[in-house]
Amino acid sequence: KGWDDDEDDGEGLDDTDDLDPVAERASWKLRELVRVKREREELEKIEREREEIERRRAMDPELRK
Amino acid sequence: MAHLADAKALLDNRGHYTGQTFHGVNPLLLVEKIIRERIFESLYWKEQAFGLNAATLLDRAVELTYIGGQYSNQRPTPFLCLIFKLLQLQPGREIILVYLNDPDFKYLRALAAFYIRLTWGATDIYRTLEPLMGDYRKLRVRGMGGWRMTYVDEFIDELLTKERVCDIALPHIKTRAMLEDADELEPRDSLLGSEVESEGESDAQEEKGASSGDE
Amino acid sequence: KQHLHAVGERDEVAIATLEMVVERLAWLKRRREEEGREGEVDLAKRLAERAR
Repeated sequence: KGWDDDEDDGEGLDDTDDLDPVAERASWKLRELVRVKREREELEKIEREREEIERRRAMDPELRK
Repeated sequence: MAHLADAKALLDNRGHYTGQTFHGVNPLLLVEKIIRERIFESLYWKEQAFGLNAATLLDRAVELTYIGGQYSNQRPTPFLCLIFKLLQLQPGREIILVYLNDPDFKYLRALAAFYIRLTWGATDIYRTLEPLMGDYRKLRVRGMGGWRMTYVDEFIDELLTKERVCDIALPHIKTRAMLEDADELEPRDSLLGSEVESEGESDAQEEKGASSGDE
Repeated sequence: KQHLHAVGERDEVAIATLEMVVERLAWLKRRREEEGREGEVDLAKRLAERAR
């Protein structure tokens, strides 16, 4: 487009959508599944950590506030 | 009411900045000094981004053909220049939502999403951006290492989970899991809907189904 | 460089209202649709335009 003497316009990389709708949706689905899984695991991790802290508090009265 | 056409004035007034602050700072400072200077020096900033307001900025935004921070000889992308312009203009919430929710211009959507991530509060960010994770249109990314392809959903995910995107250090926000745990955010409804309950447990099974194009 | 119109000569720019933004976007959309009708799905032309 002429600014900053830009010669490489990345023409080899085509961002046209819906060239292969089935494949495009399928690859999105995989990405979304990975995200959902990651979110679940993160939440479970936080819950586990909190339970662990509560468990220790219950065991050791010294740690109670 | 009017904007100054040149963002520099907002910065040279050290200690006298009276504009709106985000996360307690002058929004222009969200972009590191060295990158700000490269933006000011770039031809795109001087010729294409000068004198824009939130309406005429659209002329430039719909012409975007890629996202990214700096490329080749540490030049700022037009995308980065327009992000910086938005930080200068600070359009109201409704205007940003018009940008974001327009279905026709995907690079405009990416621009608005980035701005929201930089300037809004955490729960607002998740609530506003997550619904767009069902948008799997392609986005070209240009970086120091050349070109690559991403997707709107992946870009949004990066904004929500990474510390640095497009060469900008994003303001720190709590993770979704932390906010959920603190009951500040409802669990995210996956855009896969009910499919996720049965299929989410087995990625291998899902992969098989997806490649045969089940729908 | 038709974009460097009079507005670029001044120090101040009028702040856009929501209505101005919505209107501008609608106009850009119409313009793109018109361009799309002229060169419908003609990849060669699209590439030529991009290279311009």
